Amino acid sequence: MVLRKGGWREWIAAGATISVLFIAVTAGQTAWAGPNTATSPADPHKVIHAAFVAADDGFDIARTYNAYSIWVAESIFEPLLTYDYLARPAELVPLTATAMPEVEDGGKTYIFHVKKGIYFTPDPAFKGQRRELTAQDYVYTFERLLDPAIHSPSAYLLSGRIVGLDALVARARKTGHFDYDAPVAGLSAPDRYTLKVQLTHPDFNFLYAVAYPALAAVAREVITEYGAQSGAHPVGTGPYQLSQYVPRSKIVLTANPDYRGYIWNFKSTGSAWDDQLVREMRGKHMPQVGRVEISIIEEDQSRWLAFEGGQLDLVGLPQSAAPIVMDGDRLKPAFAKQGIRLYRQVLPAITYTLFNMRDPVLGGDSPAKIALRRAIAMSYDIDKEITLIRQNQATQAEMIVPEGVVGHDPNYRSSIPYDRDLANRLLDHFGYKRGADGYRRLPDGKPLVVHLTQEPDSLSRQYGELWKRGLDKIGIRLNITVSNFADNLKAATQCKLAMWQSAWQADYPEAENFLQLLYGPNIGQGNNSCYESKAYDALYRKFLATPPGPARNALVIEMNRQEEADTPWILGVSPVSNWLVRPWVEGFKRHPIMESDWQYLDVVKH
Amino acid sequence: MNDAVRHSPGLWALAWRRLRADRVAMVALAIVALYLVSLLLSATGVIARHWDAEVGVSYAPPSFLGAETAAQRDAPRIKVPPAPPAENPRDPLGPLLKRLRAERAAGQGGIDYYGIQDPLAGDITKLRAKLRAEPDAGVAKKRATLPFGADKWGHDIVQKTIKGSETSIVVGLTAAFLATLLGTLFGAISGYYGGWVDDCFNWFYSVFTSVPYLLLILAVAAVLHQKGVLTIVLILGLTGWTGVYRLIRAEYLKHKQREYVLAADAIGASHASRMFRHIFPNVSHVALVQLSILTVAFIKSEVILSFLGFGVPVGVASWGSMLNEAQNELILGKWWQLVAATTAMAVLVTAFSVFTDALRDALDPKLK
Repeated sequence: MVLRKGGWREWIAAGATISVLFIAVTAGQTAWAGPNTATSPADPHKVIHAAFVAADDGFDIARTYNAYSIWVAESIFEPLLTYDYLARPAELVPLTATAMPEVEDGGKTYIFHVKKGIYFTPDPAFKGQRRELTAQDYVYTFERLLDPAIHSPSAYLLSGRIVGLDALVARARKTGHFDYDAPVAGLSAPDRYTLKVQLTHPDFNFLYAVAYPALAAVAREVITEYGAQSGAHPVGTGPYQLSQYVPRSKIVLTANPDYRGYIWNFKSTGSAWDDQLVREMRGKHMPQVGRVEISIIEEDQSRWLAFEGGQLDLVGLPQSAAPIVMDGDRLKPAFAKQGIRLYRQVLPAITYTLFNMRDPVLGGDSPAKIALRRAIAMSYDIDKEITLIRQNQATQAEMIVPEGVVGHDPNYRSSIPYDRDLANRLLDHFGYKRGADGYRRLPDGKPLVVHLTQEPDSLSRQYGELWKRGLDKIGIRLNITVSNFADNLKAATQCKLAMWQSAWQADYPEAENFLQLLYGPNIGQGNNSCYESKAYDALYRKFLATPPGPARNALVIEMNRQEEADTPWILGVSPVSNWLVRPWVEGFKRHPIMESDWQYLDVVKH
Repeated sequence: MNDAVRHSPGLWALAWRRLRADRVAMVALAIVALYLVSLLLSATGVIARHWDAEVGVSYAPPSFLGAETAAQRDAPRIKVPPAPPAENPRDPLGPLLKRLRAERAAGQGGIDYYGIQDPLAGDITKLRAKLRAEPDAGVAKKRATLPFGADKWGHDIVQKTIKGSETSIVVGLTAAFLATLLGTLFGAISGYYGGWVDDCFNWFYSVFTSVPYLLLILAVAAVLHQKGVLTIVLILGLTGWTGVYRLIRAEYLKHKQREYVLAADAIGASHASRMFRHIFPNVSHVALVQLSILTVAFIKSEVILSFLGFGVPVGVASWGSMLNEAQNELILGKWWQLVAATTAMAVLVTAFSVFTDALRDALDPKLK
């Protein structure tokens, strides 16, 4: 998913449309006619107070890849598969499927069996009927992701992968109407609880896609009933339901009384942290937490003070507060004494600054243009970013694929150093001559100005300062444009920004999720650099066809080298996340891929 | 005509006399003058010219607090072991970079003279060789403390505050001048002509004031899109004229019926002449007081805009951008930048306000 650069927790900001939807939802409060078989063991007196760094974007995950939307949606909707809570690196386990799918046809056919007796939370859209989850719901959900009317940012998960589905999409593009009732050869429900998926080619990451929240079952009646408002009316089968929603301010989740529940029985990976979790949680009927209150607090300082003041039970430590809370990688005694615990991990994420390869000044394949981008990359003092701005809560990213993701090579070193002197020599060589004012001109004598787009927050300004310092030293004039994140993302998607700082966090723990950001055909849907390289694209296609193993990893290295050669990106860092947890919260372990964790937690009396 | 009448002091002389008598006002005036002198000196580069030099260590504390210990300063950090950058076999620039690196190792090149023979080439090569021998020789040592501390990048806060004052005051004064000019001009035309001209301006004014002020500012900022000191001046100037307009219009409505204006009309003075040569001097004290009130308001507005991230561009210091930076510093206990910027601003704004107040009193002939 796209992360907001800056504080690592500052992710995608909400889209502009949601601000007009001031709706308080009272889902699930309408009594329904069927027999009540309330099974959720959740205790309404166990409350978790949490905070989000940015607003969500509604909870219709087909329409958004906002991390905060996903965070909430993961506790409301259920995909067929999910990740094991404790296993690292992340490992898939069945969720609404009875078991991992049967794979036939050399990796081209997947057969899932959906558990019987899972019900959607009651909603007026069901007209008083109890609504069971069936395989057909997954057929609908999968198809909907590719419906052209939805414009799903996650469409790439299925696009071109399922036999017959793309033909249906092409027809929908022509007629303007997606025919959900038309049979699709590769996506069918042979009986009520069986889902059969046939892929166009063997795909080694398909199951990761199945576990992605955008493929969590939604009910067709609900989507039809609410139409464009579906984001404010999430109706799922998961452990929680939305009970209060004030966009951009507050979200309250309550336990879904009809949820089937499960018993906490995850296996420790052997770390002391995991062992303690197992001691605390094993055998408990889940979920325990009956109510989750989420406030959206955008300012780091306010969020930190809210935690310190006891208004939050857990918080992602803002990096600006790191020096007062931590000594290196552990808590200061003052905080440890309060019983606060620290969970620390390098995120499977990277930050990067992208060049628009179609920009008249910065884009292009000629050696002079490559040299310009390379020189800019070599002028940026990443070490200062880590020490001064990120307060040491990050590690330098050497390759596109970060730690914790399959394909990452810890011994890999980037070929682009921080070296302003070399950058100057490179520019001199290609005839970017300095004028009387000390700033360089283009080789044809025209003025050279580099435009960087940023967001209007104080962290962005610090990155801006660092950029300006670096570029001044190599004689390149920098112009910074400030606009809000949603507009910037839109402009970047349309290849209209020259330079923009961005970030990406793994949707699933495999290199493809990162490498697809530079694949030519993905321009307009994630490839915001608008980078089209025949060499890279050929490698990428070869990579997709190679099964997991050393051969596949070797291709990842090749693609990294190709990226460095063309320099469409300047790689930044992998942020370190620090979570602080109050002593009464049990069972906390931050998952690198899943956002939501409330269904795994317990709160003891305090 | 006797002497007393001939030397009867004018409005301005009287006002000055009244102002002189007000001790508080004179102190305020002195403070404002002091700021203006520092502004002139820093604008001409006499002081604070090198404010953006990194003279201190990051967040060097003020001298009176003493330097931090090494333990406080060097927080443990995650560090990737330094390794030479890898060779990239796919890099089209690979061979060139190799050559450039080799040239550097040999101490050649560095600056391209575009074919012109550098007469100092020999000396420079010798200096370079010396620099390589003692790598620290060319770099001045960064100081552990500075008179009032340093910011994140090691800038001297005192110099930064002086430079920031320059930006903020220049913005405040020019924007206030622009707003007063617009307001006076519109007010004069509207009040003097009346009728449909007045109606048009009134409509325009009403539409303008119906938009909430901060939103209006942000809207203009979004339209102008370009960051810069001039942009802020335009934003503030173009949105701030309404108050002045209302006051000046009322004055003109009142004055245009007075005998001296009718007399000017009788001797054949043109409209422009009546508006600006006859009436304006009699209402100019209103404009002057408005000018100083707006200056104070705009200095504050610039701070707010920069604080919100719509203000001065990166690389320019202003009080607002200093406060913006200080947001994240306060949580770390680095209070000096915040204190410097707020003190500088508070002192000037208070002095200016007190002075404006006294000026208003002095210029009001009804108050004796």
